[in-house]
Amino acid sequence: MSIALIGLKALVGGFVVVGFSLIGQAGHPKRFAGLFSAAPSVALASLAMTVVARGTDATLAYAQGMLIGSAGMVAYCLVSLVLIDRLHALVGSILAWLAWLAVAGGVYLAVGK
Amino acid sequence: MARLARRRWGRLPGRGQVALDGRQLLDDDLESVGFDWSKLRNASPPELLIRFVFGGGIALIAAVAGSVFGPRFGGLFLAFPAVLPATLTLIEKKEGTTKAWADASGGVLGAIGLAAFAFTAIQLLRANPVVALALALLAWLLVSGGLYFLFRETGLFLRQDKLLTTR
Repeated sequence: MSIALIGLKALVGGFVVVGFSLIGQAGHPKRFAGLFSAAPSVALASLAMTVVARGTDATLAYAQGMLIGSAGMVAYCLVSLVLIDRLHALVGSILAWLAWLAVAGGVYLAVGK
Repeated sequence: MARLARRRWGRLPGRGQVALDGRQLLDDDLESVGFDWSKLRNASPPELLIRFVFGGGIALIAAVAGSVFGPRFGGLFLAFPAVLPATLTLIEKKEGTTKAWADASGGVLGAIGLAAFAFTAIQLLRANPVVALALALLAWLLVSGGLYFLFRETGLFLRQDKLLTTR
């Protein structure tokens, strides 16, 4: 993969994340707005560019990895709820990354490799 | 976990005691659903820059990881919660911990929608990539939105609140 494509993915990914976060910021009530915190912003940008640059086979593999990652994302959000209640948002939401790592990493090692 | 954290770090940034406001959560579930675009006037450029950097950063990590270790490994990071800590911390700072909790509880449903996005894309990519990604986005919207209204209307949010909170 060329450095230009990697840079373009990062740039477009950043813009799409900002776009979805603005939609979330305008949304109410807060739980509804929270849906947009877990929007497929990076995925949409990245998969679209992978289709154009590398074709459907590579994109399919990225999407398969993403499906595993999304199991980690569900675990992350559930654990972050428990930890925010006990440790506040900053510490709780960062510590919850361990839940993503455990679930996404575990499922990847078990069935994704 | 909380006891362990307190023992190791002493006083936490949040003084180790968070009190969620159940009334605020109930009010949240009674508020009408929609978008107030005038709120975007309050969007501060530094906050948007933080989200851009974290979002762009994880897209970069996914691309590099995919290039080095294979696309399936890189794909894991397309569903990594890179921006959520920044988002939740900013919400807590501005509107309090209960609102940050409410945002994260919506995030759980958005994350389930994320799995629907990936599943739809996997099923349809070979047939037509453009249609596949458009329908995958629609799947995310329908699943996460549908679950939101199900949880809201049946009181499942409140049950979840009771189950996961300590107080």
